Amino acid sequence: MQRAIEHRGIPTVSVTVALDITEHSKPPRAVFVPFMMGHHFGVPYHRELQRQIILEALDHLVKAEWSGEVRFLPITWAQARREGKAIEEAAGRMT
Amino acid sequence: MTAHSDETKQLRPGLWETVNERYPGSMITKDDFVPLAPLRKPLSESRLTFVSSAGVQPKGTMPFDVGHPVGDYSFRRVPSTSNPSDLEIHQIKYPTHGAVNDLNVIFPIERWQELAAESVIGGLTPNFFSFIGYNMDSERLERTLAEDIAEAVVADGADVALLAPA
Repeated sequence: MQRAIEHRGIPTVSVTVALDITEHSKPPRAVFVPFMMGHHFGVPYHRELQRQIILEALDHLVKAEWSGEVRFLPITWAQARREGKAIEEAAGRMT
Repeated sequence: MTAHSDETKQLRPGLWETVNERYPGSMITKDDFVPLAPLRKPLSESRLTFVSSAGVQPKGTMPFDVGHPVGDYSFRRVPSTSNPSDLEIHQIKYPTHGAVNDLNVIFPIERWQELAAESVIGGLTPNFFSFIGYNMDSERLERTLAEDIAEAVVADGADVALLAPA
């Protein structure tokens, strides 16, 4: 899919949570996040994290130097969940 | 490739092998890399599209066939101006508990709208594109769905594309 779009002259980047699948399918550019499937942009209500992952992907789109280059983000799923839980608790206290 | 697959970094290491053992031939393996397409203008002037295998679709459109043994090779257009409340997920192959509370964890449409409003990106294509990731015939996927979506992305005037294989 990504390769078909890139073939048409449109630069592409994907956000992946499955590094082995990415290595086999060889998309032009990818950003790997070590998150649970279905949670590529983080956790609910964590707008900053969702935004950060998008901005990293866009930055990789601009800066990647060779096809197949994967960027790794210094984020853990445990950290994302902790932050998400804190956000939900704070919102709960405010309501 | 900047690094080989590091199993300690993955929540589900060996996913490719597991799926490929259960459903031989369903996974895409490539030996070559496609040439990188250059950016034609700065991101702040580029129109972005988003392609997702999350099975997100506007309410009222034909639900994806999540029960078909070989998969569903159709896609849906999701207007980029949609509110999350306009959308629903038809997909049973990945955990959706996060997305049920906040669709942006898998389909960050509100973040895209914000980034476009802030001119971080030049704008959004009229539509985003969504399909389901459960497609067991990889050759058919590449021959039909991938080409169909690529053509639709071009027709929508995308300058850059971000994809999220759910």
